[in-house]
Amino acid sequence: MSLTSLVFFIFCFVTLIIYFIVPKKFQWFILLLSSIIFLFYNNLNVNTIVQLLLILLPSYVFSRLIEKNYNNPKSKRFLILGILFILAQLIYLKYTNLFLATVNHICNLFNINYQFDFIYRNSLIGISYYSLIMISYLTDIYRGACKAQKNIFKCALFMSYFPILTSGPFIRYESIKDDLYEGHKFSYKNMCYGLIRVLWGIFKILVISQRLGIFVDAVYTNTDTYTGIYTIIAVLFFTLQLFTNFSGSIDVIMGISEIIGISLPENFDLPFFSRTITELWRRWHITLGAWLKDYIFYPLLKSDYMQKLNKKCQKKFGKKKGKKVPLYISMLIMWIFIGIWHGGAYTYIIGSGVLQFIYIFLEENLEPLAKKINNKLGINMESNLYKAYQCIRTYLLFSFAMIFFRATRISHAIKIIKNMFVWNPTELFNKELLFSIGFNNHELAIILLSIILLVVLGLLAKKIDLRENLFKQKIIIRWGIIYALLFGVIIFGCYGAGYDATAFIYKQF
Amino acid sequence: MKKNIIKVLSFIFIFLILFYCVTKILWNVHSPITYFYKEPKDSIDIVYIGSSNAYAHFNSVLAYNLYGYTTGFFSTDSQYFGLVKSGLEEVEKYQKPSLYIIDIAKIANEIDDFTEQELRFTIDSMKISKNRIDTINEVLANKKVDKDDYINYYFSFLMYHNSWKNKGINAIKTNIFGRKDLYKGYFFGEFTSNITPQEKYNWSNDMQELNMESKDVLISLLDYIKSKSLNVLFVLPRRGYEIEENKEINSAIKIIENNNFKVINFNTLPDFDNIDFSKDLYNFAHLNVYGATKYTTYFAKYLKENYQLEDHRGDKNYNSWESEYERFKEDFKKINHKDFDELLKSL
Repeated sequence: MSLTSLVFFIFCFVTLIIYFIVPKKFQWFILLLSSIIFLFYNNLNVNTIVQLLLILLPSYVFSRLIEKNYNNPKSKRFLILGILFILAQLIYLKYTNLFLATVNHICNLFNINYQFDFIYRNSLIGISYYSLIMISYLTDIYRGACKAQKNIFKCALFMSYFPILTSGPFIRYESIKDDLYEGHKFSYKNMCYGLIRVLWGIFKILVISQRLGIFVDAVYTNTDTYTGIYTIIAVLFFTLQLFTNFSGSIDVIMGISEIIGISLPENFDLPFFSRTITELWRRWHITLGAWLKDYIFYPLLKSDYMQKLNKKCQKKFGKKKGKKVPLYISMLIMWIFIGIWHGGAYTYIIGSGVLQFIYIFLEENLEPLAKKINNKLGINMESNLYKAYQCIRTYLLFSFAMIFFRATRISHAIKIIKNMFVWNPTELFNKELLFSIGFNNHELAIILLSIILLVVLGLLAKKIDLRENLFKQKIIIRWGIIYALLFGVIIFGCYGAGYDATAFIYKQF
Repeated sequence: MKKNIIKVLSFIFIFLILFYCVTKILWNVHSPITYFYKEPKDSIDIVYIGSSNAYAHFNSVLAYNLYGYTTGFFSTDSQYFGLVKSGLEEVEKYQKPSLYIIDIAKIANEIDDFTEQELRFTIDSMKISKNRIDTINEVLANKKVDKDDYINYYFSFLMYHNSWKNKGINAIKTNIFGRKDLYKGYFFGEFTSNITPQEKYNWSNDMQELNMESKDVLISLLDYIKSKSLNVLFVLPRRGYEIEENKEINSAIKIIENNNFKVINFNTLPDFDNIDFSKDLYNFAHLNVYGATKYTTYFAKYLKENYQLEDHRGDKNYNSWESEYERFKEDFKKINHKDFDELLKSL
């Protein structure tokens, strides 16, 4: 059930109607029921129940035990056990092939003539999300940041709230529990605001992302046919495709939750207006970043081992430099984790992990040098032109890393990089080649206009609340804009026969 | 609360109107079936069902001009024979024709011989109704289409919503103003005026058993016709055929005749031997306007003589048939630089 399918919207419509009809105290149960139906619709077999219970039961039991033994050394043991239970399943279902690929590489390295076959398992949709959500839940109880949920069904709802299962965002128990379990009265305003957000999300996915995907897929799958300028455009397009797909999905999810009355944390904050990669990651998949900081980076940095290392390094390299060693080690581990979380392949570890770490490492360490050079050259680093340059540079660096993210294997990524250096700019005007992708001038015009719309709305959103402003307008203007967006999706959206709008990039994570 | 409900309902109402307009402008389907629906209720005397041979060969406006009866087409290009039954059901909702003519040129073709586009020509031309949904379900089940794809057939805009990018302004013009090359469904234009010499096809009387799928489809159709007591004439047009197809069609004709229905095979009819394969076809399987005129003059007369068909000429309610005939003659002159009346006289 993809987020833009008719089935999904019918499903949401029915859920919302029932949700607002039943008495408030039973509303949470409707959400739980819908979430279970959602999971079963996507994966109708016994494994679904087994996989769900294998995360739910240990999470529930250990959460109660941790709470019972709060401030007692036993609670730490229960926390570790709980996390291990969750991670074991996640690793078993999603990362077995990464492990097998590593073993195969090692076998090759030592000339051992044996290769393990990959195992394809049917993992439950959203497993990467709810596994981490439950880890944070256990940790928060251990830290005393929240109380354990005594009702196992309510615990199940927190774990499997259906809108977030496909693309997040990561939720925290303490901040969502009231919204989730306390009932809501139907609000006309919430409905209008929510629907606008859903519509904007669908526009981003169907009109922009899916259309860019046609170009990107053609170039990435036909590396001998499309080279040079085509590859460069595809690489730049993919970042935008990923963003519009992911943020569009989040808009749909947030919009639906808004109608229900559940407020979810924002996951994007205009990431391509970032001047550095560090800033970009503060604005891109915000809830994942926050999760990693709270549950991996800081615990790692504050761990006994890192503290000892810190002391040793400070003695050896001095206070300032020595401090940085455990910091970067923790950071590197965190980025590798991000890479692994994104998918069980080395391409993800490089694209969304190691390369991002290298960028941030270089940014931090070369910043003083860059400042010096700019000062000598008399460049005003606060000028708009310089800021624009920094945004473009960030986009280019991020896009380069995303080559690995999109490629099927490392050799594929290297081929794409090589193709980027083929000099053939005039080929862009080769209509036959361009049209062979399935693109024509009309398609290009729509992409261009959509990108302009995205940028303009992005800039406006920095200054004003767009929806608030829209609903202050006269009905003719307000409805005119909504109809324009609606028919923009209906006419220009890439859906239906010939298009596959179900291939959500983030659904697999 | 009341105010908000009114707002929501108004929004949905305006949306539906706009959606209807957008559909008409961007994704309107135009086939002879579309023009069939445009005719007033119970105003059609004959309904011709079948593939493109029906509306490319039988000049309905000429037949009206000669004998005064009206002919509508429930036909599309390469129409799958399994759709004939749905066609009959659909026609019965709008017209009470004195006669149904069923073209059997495609009778030997199995569903897998038809492309998605060919199947959609008929399905997408049909109005939204239970019959349309049943037709889709039946055809797609036979074609073994994935159930997830059914939705693209139920809501044809899912298929055609992106047609704007290829068709351009001319398609929009057609969608708004209609097709100019259909005259009450009869297909005529520069294309059908072409003379493409073909090797004369000599009909073989050899027989080969009709494939099981076509046989089932045919028997089900015959049962339906009997159950509804419809007046039906089966015809096989004069044109070129594949030899295997020819043999299977002979078996089909035998089945139809054994069920006491009349079949006219224009390939073996001694009275109808004036089709010149070097002049009267625009391709292997279609008569051009010259061949179609020969066919129509012969067949229209036969129909008038053998069936009780009303003459509507002079009836104001049927003026559009006369004006369409005049339009056809004008267009014929423009394209062929000849007077159509003179062509008629020369036959």
